[in-house]
Amino acid sequence: MTALERIMHIEDDPSIQEVARVALEVVGGFTVRSCDSGAAGVAAADSFAPQLVLLDVMMPGMDGPQTLTELRKLPVMEGVPVIFMTAKAQTQEVTAYRALGAAGVIIKPFDPMTLSEQIRAIWEQQHA
Amino acid sequence: MPDNPQLQAQLAAIEARFRQRLDDELDTLDDLCAQLHDDPSALRSLRDRLHKLAGSAGTFGYGELGRVARQLEQQAQTQLDAKQPDAAVLTDLSSAGAQLRPLLKRDEQRQAQPQQLDAGISDEDRHRHVGLLIEEDDLASQMTQTLDSFGYQVTRLASPEALHTAAQLDALIIDTSPPGSRLLSHPVFQQAPGQLPPLLIISSLDTFSSRLQAVRAGAVGFFTKPVDLPLLERRLERGFSSQQGGPFRVLIVDDDTELTARYQLVLSNAGIRVDTVSDANLLLDKMHKFIPEVVLMDLNMPEYSGPELAQVIRLDDDWLRVPIVYLSAETNAERQMSALLKAGDDFITKPISDSTLLTTVYARAQRARMVSDALARDSLTGLLKHADIKEQLELEAERAKRSHAPVSVAMIDIDHFKNVNDSYGHACGDNVIRALSNMLRQRLRKVDRLGRYGGEEFVAVLPGCNSDDAYQLLESIREAFNALQFSSGGQQFHCSFSAGISACEADAWADEELLERADRALYRAKQSGRNRLCRDDGVPD
Repeated sequence: MTALERIMHIEDDPSIQEVARVALEVVGGFTVRSCDSGAAGVAAADSFAPQLVLLDVMMPGMDGPQTLTELRKLPVMEGVPVIFMTAKAQTQEVTAYRALGAAGVIIKPFDPMTLSEQIRAIWEQQHA
Repeated sequence: MPDNPQLQAQLAAIEARFRQRLDDELDTLDDLCAQLHDDPSALRSLRDRLHKLAGSAGTFGYGELGRVARQLEQQAQTQLDAKQPDAAVLTDLSSAGAQLRPLLKRDEQRQAQPQQLDAGISDEDRHRHVGLLIEEDDLASQMTQTLDSFGYQVTRLASPEALHTAAQLDALIIDTSPPGSRLLSHPVFQQAPGQLPPLLIISSLDTFSSRLQAVRAGAVGFFTKPVDLPLLERRLERGFSSQQGGPFRVLIVDDDTELTARYQLVLSNAGIRVDTVSDANLLLDKMHKFIPEVVLMDLNMPEYSGPELAQVIRLDDDWLRVPIVYLSAETNAERQMSALLKAGDDFITKPISDSTLLTTVYARAQRARMVSDALARDSLTGLLKHADIKEQLELEAERAKRSHAPVSVAMIDIDHFKNVNDSYGHACGDNVIRALSNMLRQRLRKVDRLGRYGGEEFVAVLPGCNSDDAYQLLESIREAFNALQFSSGGQQFHCSFSAGISACEADAWADEELLERADRALYRAKQSGRNRLCRDDGVPD
């Protein structure tokens, strides 16, 4: 299994962006590219070539599901798992996100100390 | 990794920036709230902002703020979905900013708690907030007075509409006795367990069906008129005790990560902390780190069976009490039995509905916490036992000595307690002891230590308090306790206590035992007429 190194995080809330970045870089040892909108994420995908994308669901402009659709059109995104992050956590919503092709769902609020662990578990599950 | 100081510093810096933004965010919410009645788009923006807040606040330790933001977000969503907006709900929403601000303060105080050791004796934050929905003015004011004397903060809700805010209270007491009362059919009582604060119901009817109705609404206590107030207070306290100690901790052992993720989602949504193990080799290690209160275990995993793993857990004395619940597609009763005979406590059969999972786990966790609490504490009062309070006293005295801070000790003894037992019976005597212990627990701060020293004797250790602080605090409790009205077999009576206080001031350490000095002062208080406090330092009382 390839080791997970590059994660793209798309999130418009600067506080969450910052804390996730530190959590993923310092605790998880990943390389993180933070983008503050779906459009920015789509634009940066080619150059950054993420191995995994962490995607906020509710964003102004392009929301999470729309961003996912756009990302999926890019060749560089082929086979790249996308994890939704959301404060909405009804089971039916999670099922809906999965139907859209999400590899997993992480619920906000999250614990910065275990975020990397959660992501790694989803990654391993994808590659099992 | 959590000990990494650099990481901690980075997180703290981000948290500080989040805190700064939070003020602006609440101001923006205020602006949106002000536009709610005029501008239809404001509601949508409000919902989005609340949603963001619900997601971020908890991550930065503002848990309560996040939870209430989430409730408000749901209210806003309901309004957006409704054809006709509900004016009452809009009005409630328009105070969103005002509702959130005090929570910000509360969350902050909670975060700062460990540093508050020397913060003196007033601790507003300690007061639990109880809501009353009672039509009858006399009963409401009597209850307010009693609960107030126990240190609760009491708010009388004006009408059933105010039940929207129930989730923000620590407890709710409602009177269902007015004829035709349909209070219990209010939607707020149809929620899943754990969403509502402890609910106590007062009724004029003592029938099986009225009790059943109360239970169905989620009540933890049922009282008929005339209400025995100290008894009600005791039940209130018990309702809290199952909530103490933070969120329940549940460990899921299952090799199906997909299903595990779903269970995790359902449980964490109800405020339960969840950890998972998919590799059985890591099970014991995880148990020791996470200290679960309930283990959910798949019955059939590829390399091990659930009962095997359950037996491995039970080999360790530390885990004899933790409930193990199997998750299984097994519907054959005999095979279920044989699994339970080996180890384990219960079965949930797959496919499992969200509410079954939640209810089973919640019930088990609550029970487990009650049992382990009961074993560690005095059975009548729930306070530390004799040996434990002495140990706590030594710890606090040592700590005070090291940090040159004062510490006080109070020895408290109920006056003429034997008379209470003789005149009204031992059950009534027990009620008096419980009432005093609850009152002390409510009035003292979180950092104070409280124990039942003997039959009707209590010891309180008050770190950071000098003799004057301790005297002032105990004096207010003495007055409140003396004003409390007990009833037994139609007779009303009052009780009192005497107390001896000893203190070690920061710069003058006496070698003598604090406890012995407090005991001597108590003796003097008893000698000089009871229902009073004495100090061991010769200061006139």
